[in-house]
Amino acid sequence: MSSILGSLRRMKAIFVARNLEYLRDRASFGWNLVFPVLIVFALAVVFSGPPRALFVVTAIGTESLPEIVKFPGVETIIDREDKALDRLSRQQTDLVVKIVDGSVDYWVNGNSASGAILELLLKYTENRPLQRGETDGEAIRYVDWVVPGILGMNMMYSALWGVGYVVVRYRQSGYLRRLKATPLTKFEFLSAQVLSRLLVTLTASVIVFVGTNLMLDYKMVGSIALLLLIALIGGLAMITLGLAIACRTESKEFADGLLNAITFPMLLLSGVWFSLDGSPEWVQSIAQALPLTHVLEAARAVMLDDAGLADIALNLGLLCGFCVVGMGISIKLFRW
Amino acid sequence: MTDVVLSVAGLGKSYDDVVAVDGLDFEIFKGQCFGLLGPNGAGKSTTLGMLEGMEEPTSGSVRYFGKPFPADYQDRVGIQFQATALQDFLSPFDNLKLFSSFYDDPIPMDRLIDQFRLNDFLHRDTRRLSGGQRQRLLLALALVHNPEIVFLDEPTTGLDPRSRRDLWDVVSELKADGRTLILTTHYMEEAEVLCDELLILSHGKTLLQGAPKKLIKEAGVSDLDTLFLSLTGEPLVKTQEVIE
Repeated sequence: MSSILGSLRRMKAIFVARNLEYLRDRASFGWNLVFPVLIVFALAVVFSGPPRALFVVTAIGTESLPEIVKFPGVETIIDREDKALDRLSRQQTDLVVKIVDGSVDYWVNGNSASGAILELLLKYTENRPLQRGETDGEAIRYVDWVVPGILGMNMMYSALWGVGYVVVRYRQSGYLRRLKATPLTKFEFLSAQVLSRLLVTLTASVIVFVGTNLMLDYKMVGSIALLLLIALIGGLAMITLGLAIACRTESKEFADGLLNAITFPMLLLSGVWFSLDGSPEWVQSIAQALPLTHVLEAARAVMLDDAGLADIALNLGLLCGFCVVGMGISIKLFRW
Repeated sequence: MTDVVLSVAGLGKSYDDVVAVDGLDFEIFKGQCFGLLGPNGAGKSTTLGMLEGMEEPTSGSVRYFGKPFPADYQDRVGIQFQATALQDFLSPFDNLKLFSSFYDDPIPMDRLIDQFRLNDFLHRDTRRLSGGQRQRLLLALALVHNPEIVFLDEPTTGLDPRSRRDLWDVVSELKADGRTLILTTHYMEEAEVLCDELLILSHGKTLLQGAPKKLIKEAGVSDLDTLFLSLTGEPLVKTQEVIE
């Protein structure tokens, strides 16, 4: 019992010390809050105008596309049926078409004026039999869609650099060697680092989320508790990934390179800035191997589609898997 | 001073094909201040690392009271490393609190603050401490758990003469407490003032061992510096050089 209490006492000491270090580093602390807010505002301004294409048509399959896609001002996306209909319900596309055995199945969003115009154009230009389907759902602005991406990106940078880079800095400066000469165990040290950074990451995310929502009123239709759970497990997954990178690395420069090699693909392929719908299969397969993808898929499902726990269980399960693997590697390979 | 605290037999350490320490044999007694001397690269810090339990020997052994290191060896030793960074933005007070929390029965912080005269800079960012203040803090951190053995790796390197003298006073107080001290230094005067026994190393091997006065007398030289020069061909640093 006393050894458990001693262990908890040492973990708490490291946890508090790391938090103090972070809070007193006002430049880093401020930047963690200010940077994502600035990006959200910049994007809200940049993308506040009308979209470049007048209409967006999503085609399921690529065979014998309807004539309508040849009209100027019509952008065409090829996608799977389920994803296409999701996009339609968010009014990210105006019309969904599928050619089946010589007839044209199409769907429009009953709340979309653009959809109604495209439907008229389709009827006017198409000779084949038409089969109508309808969805509903409010339009989402780009800012509604991109906010989870920016929160996730901020979490990724905070988690990976705040743990990965800092632990390597401690090692390079000899601080870890000093800690090794105390009864502090690897597990206690690593756990304290994880908990400290998790607190920082969650607090920063909540402040940025609430602050930007008050000013921009972006879409949030799902459960706040579920969103917090995603942030908690997603944050843990990325923090443990940062620890795994730092567990043996001795050079800050090398750690910097490794962290960039991991964050850059996530930034491009996890759907921070743009959707990967319609991108090649292999790109989407790579994206599924990245923790940030699952954080963003789950967060968008909750924020934009009111998804429940069951809907995002796979994403959360995979994120838990990342946590177990990351922490396992860290504890096994960590060197003071 | 009869109890052997640490006994070293055939101690060696190699890194790939570089032999850092080569077959050392010596004993350190309870309450003794034991000095490891030698030029850069002589193997002082590597030897110290193995005595501290921080490094595994490649050959030979270090025994604590005649036995292998106990599981709680780190609780029994206090280490002041040659170069230790502390966490940024933390004060000496924060660091004392942090390191005290690692142990079940630490020395009260007030006592350490008085003993190492930390009051004047207790709440200053450790990155803004002078060399002497920093060394006093590091020594206090090494002693928060009241260890039996204290390791000091070049504790006065880079300090001005005043800070060096201050630290000597602190080390002398520790000696007076009856602790076993093991230190490495480049400074002859420091070794003469503080150490009861010296081990002079060169290229990882023992050149000479004995009490400072005895070594000087037996060699028929005027001081340790001359003795060292005659042994290794390399002068150690005199305090006067540091003053200049």
